[in-house]
Amino acid sequence: MELHQPAIVGIGRTNYTRSSGRTPLAMAAEAVRGALADAGLMSTDVDGITCFQAGDSASALSVAYAIGCEDVGWCPDISGGGNVVISVVANARAIVATGNSKTVVVNRSLNGRSRHRFGHATERFEVGGEMQFAAPHGYLVPPQWLAMWARRHQHVYGSTCEDLGQIAITQRQHASANEHAVARQPITMDDYLAPRWINEPFRLYDCCLEVDGAAAIVITTLERARHLAKPPVVIRGFAESHAQGGSWEQWPDLTAMYSARAAPKLWQRTGFSARDVDVACMYDCFTYTVMATMEDYGFCPKGEAGPYFGEGRATYGGDVVVNPHGGLLSEGYIHGMNHHFEAVLQLRGEAGVRQVDGAEIALVTGGAGPFGGGTVYTVDT
Amino acid sequence: MTAPGAPPQPRPDVDTAGWWRATAEGTLAICRCVDCGVWQHPPLERCRHCGGALSYEAVAGTGALHSFIVVHQPVAPGYLDQLPYVVGLIELDEQEALRIPARVVGSAPEDLRIGDRMTAEVIALPGGDYHVAVFHRS
Repeated sequence: MELHQPAIVGIGRTNYTRSSGRTPLAMAAEAVRGALADAGLMSTDVDGITCFQAGDSASALSVAYAIGCEDVGWCPDISGGGNVVISVVANARAIVATGNSKTVVVNRSLNGRSRHRFGHATERFEVGGEMQFAAPHGYLVPPQWLAMWARRHQHVYGSTCEDLGQIAITQRQHASANEHAVARQPITMDDYLAPRWINEPFRLYDCCLEVDGAAAIVITTLERARHLAKPPVVIRGFAESHAQGGSWEQWPDLTAMYSARAAPKLWQRTGFSARDVDVACMYDCFTYTVMATMEDYGFCPKGEAGPYFGEGRATYGGDVVVNPHGGLLSEGYIHGMNHHFEAVLQLRGEAGVRQVDGAEIALVTGGAGPFGGGTVYTVDT
Repeated sequence: MTAPGAPPQPRPDVDTAGWWRATAEGTLAICRCVDCGVWQHPPLERCRHCGGALSYEAVAGTGALHSFIVVHQPVAPGYLDQLPYVVGLIELDEQEALRIPARVVGSAPEDLRIGDRMTAEVIALPGGDYHVAVFHRS
């Protein structure tokens, strides 16, 4: 079977807001139409569409209908959150590579702020599955699980809250130059340390910014992409690692994440390493996720991510620019789909005032704890 | 009946019912393989390592504080009047990395240290028909 090299040819998104007043379906359709227009393609060109969903979402099938597709060859919904934001693109890439579909749209849409928010139940409820053991203790949401992991990292490596603060401060500084970001006011270390605890050792700015919005990318073959409207971004490779069946408690080492297993596979498969990366869109549901995964992917030794950010190595003029859009912490929580968007923007040289000079290689990661993955994008050479 | 404002209640299934039966009798019990002897949690029907039968076996209820958080932001009903509260990840003595999350009671958060020895105490879960194991410093 002949395999095609897939590439990203279009990107689209809505505004990111605190209250959209719209359905996820309406936003998804806008983002997908935008991505197709960006590529110079039409809805009738789409023969594959996929998304992932946890809570609020629009199904792939409904999005296909909303944009006028009548004959979609492939439209699965993947269940999950940040842990599968790499998987959905990997799936789309495989479908294009094997010729099953020629033009595939990947999207994510959510009213993450105004409708579905994690951890805001006010009435009695029952919890089944493995969460039934933790929930009765008032332990049931991600900002608790990741704080638990961060405390262990502090114990083992002596990392500090100020180290986490350096990540929040750097990303907010990046967001200040991004008109699409929802939180753009720069913060100092005093600002980081001042707010209330959420779950000690996490404060307010350790947590991502839940917003409403949608983002989409279009994938086709590189040979076709070269004749479309925008420079193609080549999908070089993926690696994921998923374990523990969804449990956050039994993972052997809370100071490392899925990335300790996925990163060696990713670098082996692509022939790149952390040193080669110009732009790193690191999944940042929480600051600690950036800390642990940056270390795992090899940007710095274990325990040194805080100083890495503090010394300016993760920003313009440093080793790599991490989340130039501000990430989920500051641009907004489009569940990691906005990381794919930003990587493409940077590799095209279309990022405007926040453009990373000479950006040719981007890492995009998704997931935290025992589940996630990474992908490498490059310019077409 | 459960009063409004009770903590989240478990919804046992056929694999997990043994855990709740044990706590109802004041015991903390964990799934263990009758063939290979490995403890495992969360529960399954069969051993994930060898496929052998699992049965609930009482543990000593002692372990070490592997990590902990101090919850300041309310997320669940039932604990709204108890903020802040401590949740610890307890590594049980029976096996390396055999951990359960649980409330840590009886100590001020600032007095807790990772590595502290912990002992379980089974108490009634407010608002329902279940019991849970909380931990305090040994």
